[in-house]
Amino acid sequence: MEKKPSPGKEEGEGGEEEEEEEEESGPEGALGKSPFQLTAEDVYDISYVVGRDLMAITGDSRDVATRVTQLQFKIVRILEMLEALVNDCNVTVEELRMERDSLRKEVEGLRSEGQPPNTEEVNPGTNKIVVDLTDPNRPRFTMQELRDVLHERNKLKSQLLVAQEELQCYKSGLIPLNNSQLARRDPQALVTSPSSSKGGKQEKTIIRKLFSFRSGKRT
Amino acid sequence: MLKRMVLVRMESNLMVLAPPVGRDRIISDFPKWYTPEACLQLKDHFHRQVRAACQEQRTGTVGLKVSKVVVLGDLYVGKTSLINRFCKDVFDRDYKATIGVDFEIERFQIAGVPYSLQIWDTAGQEKFKCIASAYYRGAQVIITAFDLADIQTLGHTRQWLADAQRENESGSSFVFLVGTKKDLLSGPACERTEMDAVHLANEMQAEYWSVSAKTGENVKAFFTRVAALAFEQSVLQELEKGSCHAQIRAGASISIRREESSVASQEGASGSSPGCC
Repeated sequence: MEKKPSPGKEEGEGGEEEEEEEEESGPEGALGKSPFQLTAEDVYDISYVVGRDLMAITGDSRDVATRVTQLQFKIVRILEMLEALVNDCNVTVEELRMERDSLRKEVEGLRSEGQPPNTEEVNPGTNKIVVDLTDPNRPRFTMQELRDVLHERNKLKSQLLVAQEELQCYKSGLIPLNNSQLARRDPQALVTSPSSSKGGKQEKTIIRKLFSFRSGKRT
Repeated sequence: MLKRMVLVRMESNLMVLAPPVGRDRIISDFPKWYTPEACLQLKDHFHRQVRAACQEQRTGTVGLKVSKVVVLGDLYVGKTSLINRFCKDVFDRDYKATIGVDFEIERFQIAGVPYSLQIWDTAGQEKFKCIASAYYRGAQVIITAFDLADIQTLGHTRQWLADAQRENESGSSFVFLVGTKKDLLSGPACERTEMDAVHLANEMQAEYWSVSAKTGENVKAFFTRVAALAFEQSVLQELEKGSCHAQIRAGASISIRREESSVASQEGASGSSPGCC
């Protein structure tokens, strides 16, 4: 495996003139690469270059030859380790890439399905709840809204009681009919809440507002 | 509240008149306590001054007044049932939790003087406490109710009273402790609980009553007692302000009313319209 040049680079190589031509971008180039960008092919290129250089040395002297042979085994071992590392790294990257793609697909699928199934998995944080809008027993109003509605209801109830009492007065003849126009001039609303009334116009619409929202949701 | 209504009516030249009350809302004799061991006062007749003021129509604005009554207590002790039995003479077996607050108005004629109670029914559920407690203020009468068949609810009345008293001047309100669902207990069992309740009532400076909204036992007697005590206090307070002052005011308002009603009828006859603004 040490002597295999990269398959991509074989096309441009002319067989005998390998050395000169490959010096710039050929097997030699792999040594100049950042170790974190190495591929398995680069490792093969490096082993080819080192093996070739070792062969050249052994041609000179016998003493040197034994030393170089020993060195050669070591270098082979290093290259094997490097190969293993690079392969392992690439496998991990590929696994992560696949994982990412599958998660991306899952998210897109949930998004296109709509919100309801998604909200169940949302963690809104402490002291918060997720409200299922289709649950008939879900909480609907805030305390302030309830307070406002009760205030308005009490006001309307007292007005009703006053009107009923007045009607009884007319029915029993306690109030003569020619006073009826004046009775209608009595526009003052009765306040039965602990706090004094706020803007009258706004209050009149609280109940209607809240319940029209509900009926709007139903349709 | 009705007080305001009537005053508004006076301003718009209406006669201060209320329709007659039902026969069972007429109180001429001072209603009795439930037990002398825990009652706010032992006498069985109206205060002499009050009686005289009523006869001479020196009660000032008391007849225009609506006294505030708040009913408190744990959930499901029967506060709403108690009020509904008295105000509407009905009893509903099904439990429906009160949301926040509700109220009823009961009109009486006490010693010949019209008098009204606004009875506030509050929710017993903890979650509505913040809403209901806003209605405690200005209560002339505080009624703390508990379930005679559930001794725990008796212990909680202490806290309910403390909550209500926090919103009112100390000593300004009459306090009643009422045991409900009397029909659920046998005589001896009821007596045992009543002993505890009377003890607590004395601690709370409250008057004790046992009632049943289901059978109606003691319900009318209880509220009649509440109305009479509140009425007497109102009249005494009015007299304290100065009987002379009250007399003049009452006299003046009557004469003004007569004048204005005659003016109004003249205007009606001559066809000139009174300004509408």
